[in-house]
Parts: sequence; structure tokens; C-alpha cells
Amino acid sequence: MKGNLFRIGLAALTAALMSSSALADDAAPIKIGFAIAQSGWMANYDVGPFKAAVLKIEEINKAGGLLGRQIEYKVIDTKTDQTLAATAGNALVDWGADMMIVPTDYDYGSPAALAAQTAGTIAISPGAGDPKMGVQGVGPLVFTAHTSAQTQGIVMAEYGHRKMGLKSAYVLEDVSIEYSKSACAGFNAAWSAEGGTVAGTDSFKNDDPSIASQITRIKGLATPPDAIFLCTYTPGGGSAVRQIRAAGIDAPILSVTGMTDNYWLGAVPDLKDFYIPAIMSLYGDDPRPEINEFLKAYKARWNEDLTSSFAVLGYSSIEQWAHAVEEAKTTDSQAVVNVMNHYHDQPFTAGLTSYTDQLHIQVDRPQLMMKVENGSFHALEMFRNEFVPDMKLLFRVGQ
Amino acid sequence: MANFFQVLIDAVALGSLYALVALSIGLVFGVMRLINFAQADYVTIGAYSLVVPTASITPSLLFGALPTGLMIAAVVITVTLLALLTERIAFRPLRNSNPTTLLIASFAVSYFLQSLVMLLHGGRPKAVSIGGSLTRAVEFAGIRIPGVQLLTMGVAITLLLALVFFLKRTPIGIQLRAAAEDFQMARLLGVPANRVIAIAFSISGLLGGAISLLYVIQTGTLDIRMGMMPVVYGFFATVIGGMGSLPGAVLGGFIVGIVSVLLQTYLPVDLRAFRDAGVFGLVILILLVRPQGLIVTSAAKERV
Repeated sequence: MKGNLFRIGLAALTAALMSSSALADDAAPIKIGFAIAQSGWMANYDVGPFKAAVLKIEEINKAGGLLGRQIEYKVIDTKTDQTLAATAGNALVDWGADMMIVPTDYDYGSPAALAAQTAGTIAISPGAGDPKMGVQGVGPLVFTAHTSAQTQGIVMAEYGHRKMGLKSAYVLEDVSIEYSKSACAGFNAAWSAEGGTVAGTDSFKNDDPSIASQITRIKGLATPPDAIFLCTYTPGGGSAVRQIRAAGIDAPILSVTGMTDNYWLGAVPDLKDFYIPAIMSLYGDDPRPEINEFLKAYKARWNEDLTSSFAVLGYSSIEQWAHAVEEAKTTDSQAVVNVMNHYHDQPFTAGLTSYTDQLHIQVDRPQLMMKVENGSFHALEMFRNEFVPDMKLLFRVGQ
Repeated sequence: MANFFQVLIDAVALGSLYALVALSIGLVFGVMRLINFAQADYVTIGAYSLVVPTASITPSLLFGALPTGLMIAAVVITVTLLALLTERIAFRPLRNSNPTTLLIASFAVSYFLQSLVMLLHGGRPKAVSIGGSLTRAVEFAGIRIPGVQLLTMGVAITLLLALVFFLKRTPIGIQLRAAAEDFQMARLLGVPANRVIAIAFSISGLLGGAISLLYVIQTGTLDIRMGMMPVVYGFFATVIGGMGSLPGAVLGGFIVGIVSVLLQTYLPVDLRAFRDAGVFGLVILILLVRPQGLIVTSAAKERV
């Protein structure tokens, strides 16, 4: 009897608290939590998207806020540490985050994303290239705003075959992380669908001091390949390109977004015929006006030139979430996710965005093709892949 | 056949690099029983000294802007001073601790130095192109030898010969060898411990500087973790060769480099990703057959 009274009392109290918080909600600011690396080596990949996200938040606030409420944000440094990422995620849940931005990598970001998912809060990683940062790998409230690594390989295969007229390719695969292996898996699938021939395949590791024996194998081919497909990332990718070119192999090199931006080009002065699918151009020649506006706004806000093209994904993470909040007329994570799951070619700054209830990563967003010449990347054109990776390819099962 | 010689050149060139790394680790281990993992960061800092420490992602050159001779001297001196400094501050106070403590101290030093580089230079990889003309290949009789491979082999042979001369013919070199064989006994016979250890560290620093230059000419990239891979391989090399034995370290370096290239070349494509597993397997095999390594020092024998 005593217990019952207590329970009724508790229920009444809870109801009272809930209604008062519901009332307060109308005026209270919306909270966005950032569990990101501000120190450690990942800071260089997380800070750009963060600053761009802050730019978007301030733009929204200046335009009157979201659902008439201002947005406030809080950052907790994960220090490039998986355990601290979980701690940061939990701390932001306690702070009452309505939405969370997590590090741009599955391994380093998923602990924070899991903390959000467990608390029923939506989490977006601006730049994870692994589809596991989503429904299957963490949970249905978790998204990545980036394009899958497989798609990057597919885009290069189709672009190389259709636009550049390449017939044979030599595939050099960096087997040190899942990103580069997934990119090569995508390339291989699309290249054989295009009817291209594979002149040979070989592997290396990003931190190999020398790829001399891989080069010897390419040099030993009876007929040199039309192109080399190099799925890798910096810094080892830059080292590989330097060694390939030094060996006198001048065939076009097709690579992936992991090699984007100019900062590594100093390793290979006079590099030519190097192609990637990029997120955006930092160098003013992007064909999309919204990107150039974003570049200008970023510079005005932070008083510095943007140095990482991943930043725009941070901007778009807020953009796509805010759009869904407007449509759902609530910040309730489940309601927002229901809207986002129905995005089909929704135009955001980073590009056309689509999600389904099963797939929380981009698989056919048009990419900006870029080419290296005279010491800089240059924009060529937008290109969209036709071959769409299936679940088997995305999760690389049975391969 | 030409192809086989080509592979052999690739293998020996990589072996030379690892031999230098193994030697720098083996030398310090010999006199101090310290497996110095901070050697990786000596290499990293040597490479980073080529550019001005800024957070900028396209840094301007510091030592890299000097004429070749001065650049080499500046990098080598920087790394040597760094090696001496870590010895004085971190390792000397621990000299009488057991090897485990020393090992952990070397990890601490390594971690500190890595964070220092990140603080000064930012965490993003950077690019620097030095010795571009050296990367081009010389061809004769159908064999292609990149200049940097020739250079690595040349530098390795020169440094090895110089070191052999130093160790065999100079008094301090003889003291160093004596200390490497039996440190306590050498001290009892009047070998100055501080000096011998400092000399060992300066040589490992000198080797570290040479390694970082060779490495950067080859790869053109700077990364805070760049020294780790070669040092881990160099460590395996010293284990294979026999801990504390200098000829063993060199032999081990060549074995590790050559086996690694041969596996990369002759394994079927699906197995190539497991190249490193093959090298580690070899380490295990050698340790099973010869637990003291291939070349055993008398000091190592006595300790069993």
C-alpha cells in the first residue's frame, strides 16, 4: 500500500516535471553536441567540419533560429581516443544534446555515436566513409554525411572508362585500412561491369618505406597499363605516387578522396595526370556556386582560408538535420530520422543527399572530378556513377 | 633473369635501410640493455627539422632550404643532440633500473616526442621534396636502380665501414665494444660509463639523422608516425641477429628487408597482404631454433 502511494506520487511528480519542461521547450535553445577530436592526429580531420558546422549554426541563429528557437552548442574533445569518444558522447547526452556530431571516422567516431544511439539521440559523422557508421554498424539514429569509399572507386572506374577512354588498369591496393580496401573493391566491381581489363593487381601498406618491388612488377608488364588505380590515402599515398613517378611510370593515376587537397603535392613536384573524385574544390574553380559561397562565408567567419575539403560535410550535416527538424516540426530524434530516411536527391551544399531506412551513407552523390596540374588540383566536371553498390559490396561480405 | 636481379636490388636496398635502423637500436641496447623505441621519433624529428615548425599545412623549408652539405649536417646534428638530450634527461637517471623499466621509459620518451612534434607542426601529414634528382632511376643491362636505392646502399656501406673502423681501431670504439660485451666488467677495467653511453647515443642519433634523410628523399612525406614502421622492423632485425651483437643487427636488417621484398614479390596476390605476417613468422622461427639470435655475444650467453 505504501509502495503504491509512493509510485503514484512519483508518477505525479514526473508528469509535473515533464509538462513544465515541455513548456520550457518553446523558449529553451536547441542543443547540438560535438564529440570531436580537437587534439591528437584526428583533430586535423575533425576541426574543419566543426568550424563549418558552427558557421551553419550561426547562420541559422541569425535567420531567426530553428522552429523559432536559437541553437546552442557544446564541444567535448575526444583527443583522438576511442574510450574518450564514448565518455564525450555520454557527457553530451547528459548535457541534453538534441543532436550530436561525432568524429569523421568509424573507428574513432562510433563509440560517441553509440552513446548517442543508446540515449535515443541522432548522431551524424560528417566524414566517415564506411557504411558501418549507420544502421548496421551502430544503430538507426546514426548517419554519415559522406560518400562511401566503394562509390569513390566506382566513380573512378566509370569516369576512367567512359570519359578518359581507358581500357586496362593496374590496381594497386593499400591494404592498411578498410577505407582503401573498400575503395578498391568498388573500383574492381565497377571496372569489370564496364568491361575494362585488369592488367595486374598488387598491394602495399601505407607506412611501407619503399614500394620498389611493386614498381618492379608494374615495370615488368609486357604491355604497360592505360592507367593505375591507386586506392590509398595520405601520407603513404603521396609517397607511393612519388615513387611511381620517379620510376618513370607516367600512366594516368586514378585515386580516391583520401588523396584530396593540395597539401601533399609538395612530395611530387610536377605531378600530372592524377585524378580523384573530390568533395569540393578549395581553389575557387568549383562549378557549383553554393560551394564558392560557402568558401567565402567560411573565410569571413574564421578569418582563414579553408584547408580541408571535408569541412563542407560538417556544414551539410547541420543543414540536413535542420531541414528535417523544420519538416518534422520537432527536434525529437526519431521524428527527424523518419524525415531524413526519405531524403531522395535532396540538394544540400555538399551535394545531392539520399538516405533510406537501411542506408545512412551516400552511394551515388555526384562527385567533383579533379585533376592535378601545375602543383594544384583543378576542377574538371561533376560526375555521377550509374553502378550503385549493393549491400554485399558496401559491407564487403562474401568477397 | 634481369627481373630477378631487379628484385635483388630492391631487396638489398630495403635491407640496407633496415640494417642502419637495426644498428642504431643494437648499439644502444649493447651498452645499456635499453631497447630504445624513441629511435622512431629521432627519425621523425630529423625529417621534420627540414621544415619550419608551424601549423601551416604547406610549411616553408628550414634545413631543407640549405645547400646539400649543410642540410645533411644540420639534420644529423639535430638528431644527435636530441639523442644525447634524451639520454641525459630520461635514460641516465634510470641506468641501474631493470630493462623493463628502461623499455617503458623509452615508450614514454617516444610518446612525449611525438606529442611535441604534433604540438609544433600540427597532426596533418606534410610534404617536402628534397633530393628530387636522386629519385630518378639509372638503368643499365635492363636493371633499373633508382638513385635513392643506390644512395641508401652507398650510405649504409659507408656508415658500416666507418663504424667498423671506429669500433676496431679507436680506443673509444674498443671501449664501446667492451662495454657492449660486458658493461660491468668494462667499468671495472676503467671504461668511463657516461662517455661510452653518450657515444653510443650519438652514433644512434647520427644513424637516425641519416635514416630520416634517406627516408624523406624516398617518400617525400612527413608524418608523426613515420619512424615507427622502420624501427619496429629494425627491432625485429636486432632480435633475429642476436640482441647486443652489432654484426648480428646488420645481418638481421638485411634478412628482414630481403625477406620482406621477396615475399612481396613472390607471394600470390591474395597472400601478399600477409607479407608482414611472413616476416614475423620468420622471427618466431629463428627464435625457436636459435633463441639467442644468429650471432651470439658472450655477454648474452652468460646471462642464460
